[in-house]
Amino acid sequence: MISNFIFMNGYGLFVWSSFAITFFVCLAVFYKTKKTLKKYEKEFATEIQKLSAEQRKIVLDKSKIASQVLSSYSKTI
Amino acid sequence: MFGLFNNNNIFHWIEKIMNFINSIFFILLLVALSFALIFSPPDYLQGDSVRIMYVHVPAAWIGLGTFSCIAMLSIINFIFKIKHFNLIAKSIAPLGLMFTCLALITGSIWGQPTWGTFWVWDARITSMLILALFYFFFIISHKLISDDEKASRISSIIAIIGFINVPIIRYSVDWWNTLHQPSSIKISGSSTIHTSMLMPLLLMFFVLILYCALIFLMKYKTEIIRIKKKNLKRL
Repeated sequence: MISNFIFMNGYGLFVWSSFAITFFVCLAVFYKTKKTLKKYEKEFATEIQKLSAEQRKIVLDKSKIASQVLSSYSKTI
Repeated sequence: MFGLFNNNNIFHWIEKIMNFINSIFFILLLVALSFALIFSPPDYLQGDSVRIMYVHVPAAWIGLGTFSCIAMLSIINFIFKIKHFNLIAKSIAPLGLMFTCLALITGSIWGQPTWGTFWVWDARITSMLILALFYFFFIISHKLISDDEKASRISSIIAIIGFINVPIIRYSVDWWNTLHQPSSIKISGSSTIHTSMLMPLLLMFFVLILYCALIFLMKYKTEIIRIKKKNLKRL
């Protein structure tokens, strides 16, 4: 039964390669997208931290996004 | 109601939806793969090679659906200049290209045991390749043109012209004599696929749609942060 599952009556190479290519491409795109998002979050958080205390307060009060990104970035470091 | 389209609210909902998808994704993926690779029966003519359909068909549907969506958003953006629609189109285009390429690759792998060749210049396959080229030009226009407004205008034109290709892909198997089989699943009229194969196919489609939603939300979130970062520099 297991050999049937692996070899799929002679079509195993075609079936498994189709699923494997799809799986690895999806995984690679997922990691690349996540990495880019983290990079932008990090850069954005660093720029907020670089601001003067007064400017930072204005930005964080005005933008929920800025405070959310900054808090999630602080958790990761 | 317009408060819903505020970046702050969108960002908040993106987080919530991403967490929800993450919590159900792997269970659904395991169920869908089990049905596609184990529980679904082999085809009476194609044998086990029919299992390639469970990745090939959803990939092709997503490739076509995404381009139709981009074209619609581009038409609306072209007329009303809604920035969010441009951001959405820009965020989903790489996904569409990826799934169009996957449909071409898995279709080519399926072609070898079924037709005896990896590639033929057949109407359906050629029109899918043209779709991949339109995706490529759409993405490259955003990468090469630094002025956001100009890039949005040019990419919208590419998407609108490319949209002509969508019905050609859909009806290519009816209009020309091709090696590709006609559609087995019809929205209007009865489908010619058995439920034991239709269910895994729809399950795999649903899982890949969830994956697309996850990637789209991450890309959209990145775009919002990029804009916020630009605004921060103006301070």
